[in-house]
Amino acid sequence: MIRALRWIVYGLAVLALNFPVIVTLVTSFKSGGELSVNPGLWISQPTIENYLQVLTVSDRLNIYGYLANSFIVASIGALLAIILAFPAAYAVARGDFGRKFLMPAIVNLRAVPLIIFAIPIYMMFQWLGLLDTQLGLGLILTIVNLPLSIVVLVNAIADLPIELDEAAKIDGAGTFTIMFRIIRPLVRPALVTCAIFGFITAWNEFLFGLMLTTDKAVPVTVGASFFFAASGGGVQWGLASAVMIVGALPPAILGLLMYRQIGGSMTAGAVKG
Amino acid sequence: MLATPLVVFLLLFLGFPTIVDIVYSLSQVTFETLRSPQLSGLGNYGDVLSDSGFWSACWFSLRFGLLTATAECLIGLGLAIFLSPLLTKHSALMAPLMLPLMVAPAMVGLMYRLVLHEFVGPVPYYLYMLFGNSPAFLDAGTAFWTLCVVETLQWTPFALLLFYTAYQAIPDEVRQAAQIDGASNRQLLTRIELPLMAPTIGVAAFIRFIDGFRVFDNVYTLVGSGPGGSTASLSIYIYEAFFKEGAIGKAIAASILVFMASFAGIVIIGWLAGRRRRAAA
Repeated sequence: MIRALRWIVYGLAVLALNFPVIVTLVTSFKSGGELSVNPGLWISQPTIENYLQVLTVSDRLNIYGYLANSFIVASIGALLAIILAFPAAYAVARGDFGRKFLMPAIVNLRAVPLIIFAIPIYMMFQWLGLLDTQLGLGLILTIVNLPLSIVVLVNAIADLPIELDEAAKIDGAGTFTIMFRIIRPLVRPALVTCAIFGFITAWNEFLFGLMLTTDKAVPVTVGASFFFAASGGGVQWGLASAVMIVGALPPAILGLLMYRQIGGSMTAGAVKG
Repeated sequence: MLATPLVVFLLLFLGFPTIVDIVYSLSQVTFETLRSPQLSGLGNYGDVLSDSGFWSACWFSLRFGLLTATAECLIGLGLAIFLSPLLTKHSALMAPLMLPLMVAPAMVGLMYRLVLHEFVGPVPYYLYMLFGNSPAFLDAGTAFWTLCVVETLQWTPFALLLFYTAYQAIPDEVRQAAQIDGASNRQLLTRIELPLMAPTIGVAAFIRFIDGFRVFDNVYTLVGSGPGGSTASLSIYIYEAFFKEGAIGKAIAASILVFMASFAGIVIIGWLAGRRRRAAA
């Protein structure tokens, strides 16, 4: 009895939490004609016409450009955060360095509304010529990813016995050798988690994409919203739905493949942060 | 030494902007005079503090953060505990619950434009079918509540995930010991399990409050600043002051005020957490 109730509650929760995604998915398989008479959750004549149109390059819509931008900025945002965070995390985990000031400052970054840095960064990028570039947006997404990367990596390195470093030191290994040859392979799972989680976070970011890009470096989150605003006379809902599904698919697939690790890092980030 | 690249990066992309923020907040500046700001004292702060839009944005952010954090934690806690036996047995069931966390909030905002659309949206469609009527979801009176529901539905999984993990981490011996001592299920929950989960609940509530307080993406893509600015959060207020009005000084002064408020918040929370830890030790 209570078992059945659990399944029912679970089913309702999944339905309610994923409702916008389900509706969008359903709508993306409807023709414009069907949608106007049937906005419900079933499809009487499924069509892939919307997807064909989205995946065809036209003057109005080049989804590949948006996807490529998202892919590049999210990769920069995820990898640069790790490259910066890994040595620092090693220093923090293996010594007293940074525990007093650096760590709290970075972890608390999570609690600061990033919009307050957005305007000076906009002006700085204007001077540096980084506005509307993939590199510029990638650099800012690095900042977004840094707090969690640092926390996850410090925890992972602190879990390794320090005798490991000492043994390597006796064998004549320098700090960099220890870091890259001994520590790096051992914390590989944490590095992968940071990379995936950072990629998803950066892909899904919107505010900086909206402010710092206008044309050449527009990521798909912003591109999808342009599409809603620009189609004067009314939104083509089937087409818009297909754009959103295509844009939401990469992080969703990564996330579902790696949900255990991501859940773990969210929990760790929250509990230690 | 090893942290040098990180520190340089942070100084460049956060330290420098902070200095620019402070200088410009005290200056008279427009898009034309960006490079030569004229120091003008505290005028920008006066403009912000006397702007009723700023205060209504503060009120929106505060209310939105508190309400959504509370709702997310309560629903997440209920689901985590009630569904725990199911999720332990079939761990893959967690994946569909976590899916909302992988979708960009900006996209979710756009998706709700479809979901709530009066002609093509399923929610009004079914409401018409069942009740012959459907409320306006995004007018001045209702938009706030609609946004609260949108935010809560997307982020409840975060609270659920944290609480489920904390619930699982309670050792079985603790539960058994309590049961041997004659604790009822309700006592087990309220006297043993919830107190053990309290730190996690605090952390989840804090994180969700912060994210609700600084909300931008889903609100902006769903309704923008809303009818009559009724859904302008602080983030949207600052964004619009800068990009729509070109009031750079005002936007930056508002940024600094938000920065100081969050800094004060962090210090207070850190102090409270430290006191708790000292009391526990």
